Amino acid sequence: MLRLLVRKLVQGVLLILISSAVTFALLSNAGGDALTALQDNPQVSRQTLDELRRVYGLDRPVFERYVLWLGHAVRGDLGNSLYFRTPVAPLVATRFGSTLLVSLAAIAVSLGLSALLAFVAVRFRWRWMAAVNDVVVLFSASTPRLVLSLVALTIIVRLSVSDTFVTAAIVLAIPLVSLFLAQLVDGLDASMKQDYIRLARAKGLSENVVILRHASRSALNPVLTLVGLCLGALLAGSVLVETILGRQGMGSLMVAAVRNRDIPLVMGIVLFASAAVWLANSLAEVMQIVNDKRLRDTEAK
Amino acid sequence: MSKPRRKQNWPLRTGIAIVAVLYIVAIFADFLAPYEHREQQRKTPSAPVSSLSFTDAQGNFSVRPRVIGYRLADALTQTYERDETRSAEVAFFARGYTYQLFGIFETNLHLVGTIGDGEDSPKLHLLGTDALGRDRFSRLVRATRFSLLVAPAGTILACLLGITIGMISGYSTRFVDSVLMGITDAVLSLPSLIVILAARVAFPLELPPFTAAVLLIGIFALTGWSEMARLARGLVKETLAMDYILAAKATGVKPLRTMTHHVLPNIASPLLTQAMLILPAFLLAEAALSFLGVGLQEPEPSLGNMLSAAADIAQLKLQPLLLLAPALVIVAYVFGVRLIGNGLKKDDR
Repeated sequence: MLRLLVRKLVQGVLLILISSAVTFALLSNAGGDALTALQDNPQVSRQTLDELRRVYGLDRPVFERYVLWLGHAVRGDLGNSLYFRTPVAPLVATRFGSTLLVSLAAIAVSLGLSALLAFVAVRFRWRWMAAVNDVVVLFSASTPRLVLSLVALTIIVRLSVSDTFVTAAIVLAIPLVSLFLAQLVDGLDASMKQDYIRLARAKGLSENVVILRHASRSALNPVLTLVGLCLGALLAGSVLVETILGRQGMGSLMVAAVRNRDIPLVMGIVLFASAAVWLANSLAEVMQIVNDKRLRDTEAK
Repeated sequence: MSKPRRKQNWPLRTGIAIVAVLYIVAIFADFLAPYEHREQQRKTPSAPVSSLSFTDAQGNFSVRPRVIGYRLADALTQTYERDETRSAEVAFFARGYTYQLFGIFETNLHLVGTIGDGEDSPKLHLLGTDALGRDRFSRLVRATRFSLLVAPAGTILACLLGITIGMISGYSTRFVDSVLMGITDAVLSLPSLIVILAARVAFPLELPPFTAAVLLIGIFALTGWSEMARLARGLVKETLAMDYILAAKATGVKPLRTMTHHVLPNIASPLLTQAMLILPAFLLAEAALSFLGVGLQEPEPSLGNMLSAAADIAQLKLQPLLLLAPALVIVAYVFGVRLIGNGLKKDDR
């Protein structure tokens, strides 16, 4: 367990270092810096511009600036947003909180729905239920969030609903259903054929208990990995959903940062996103070990 | 053996049919569009779908339909009322603006159009007009070009990159393998759209169409190769343990040739299925970028930037379905490609 945690920690540090370094190098080399826009301003002379660049440290080499940025970032200082004119770290943190809340709701909704559908399919073995599940998977996989959010927008405009939390959660949840449902049905089908299920049935347990307590355990593990992985997809999805539904979250913050070429803010968001994704993946892995004793033994070896 | 099975493979056939129709539309966009995609009819902004009538001016039935004109009744709410006094006959193979078919043949023939080109004669708007009075159907037809070009080109590049990295990783020593897979996992776990947007900031936000296409293809390739690399690496590892690879090695086949001639053909089919999962993702990413105004810019139409009109609540209330037409095209393409992917997987078994 300890070895796993150390390995995950090293992985996480590497992930954040690589992603932030690449982003930093990319953003500092091309397309000009934050002061390029001032070049066309007749009231700003070359000297002032050079002076400003020196003050902000923009005249130094990229590597030096990255190390400087990293040094501040470690201490929790991500600099100031050029567009919002506030420190980046608290701004991203509050927006991230809002997005995380919607994402968690979305995971709960999609997981609940897929678990229900998968349970019904495995419990009763109706022919048409399998077909229904196939169709649900195909449709939820091919309806993009961009379209879903626009449809949702039409609906909430018609109904004049002002709260977008539930809507955003549902829109984010629908594409996830395909992931979870396909995995759960496959997993439950596979584990229902195992010998320990026959044993459980032979003990006289009811079919519900057999599925919920015995079969679901082994079917749950791959789903846990998916839950960990899908936070990244949710953060990406929140870009469109929040922009369209007019929510203040990390996705819409990213759009504002991109439109205004707010490079410190972009850096801050990339840093937050990669840290969050790494944390979610690691949590999922730990949860798997808690769920499945066999994994604990292999880790110990 | 495989022939009768292929016949039953309806997902593959349906998928290919849907995608083929969309590409035919993209190729013949100019022929199918009644008007030029940038032409503005200033007198009829945000106009509804043209109403057709199958009676002629005297009230008798005629096979050839007429477009009934409309007048802007209230400029503020942009409501229109019918204007029976003005009408124009609809015609197939009508003359319109001049374009080059396949980039070679100059012609002005269009599938549908109206006869009577007077300034005042009503125009045929199959999906209405947008806020600038541009024919939305013409724009939609034209929009398929950019979107349906960028996504596959990005997919091909990303696959080439991913397969190369995966194959190197699968063939190399443990150290190289773990370094490459470490990077792959890092790229894989990052939220795609946020990474794409971050990369997009490095370049000027407003770009001409060709530059935008090249840039988007490049960004997609550089951010989307990781899944492919992971899959290819796993498959290469599996295949390298096979006896026929050992046989190839024993007969003195060079490593590079082993990879390209013995390993690659045997892992091609799962890789192709994976490519069919990447393709719709890129189409959606392109639509998202154009939607956000950092992909293809106005006045050139793309599926994404046409949708951004739908995010305007006032417009959306006025004519919801018309604005969602580009959404339908996106869904059709994604659905079609997914069906092809499912069909290929089915064929494998």
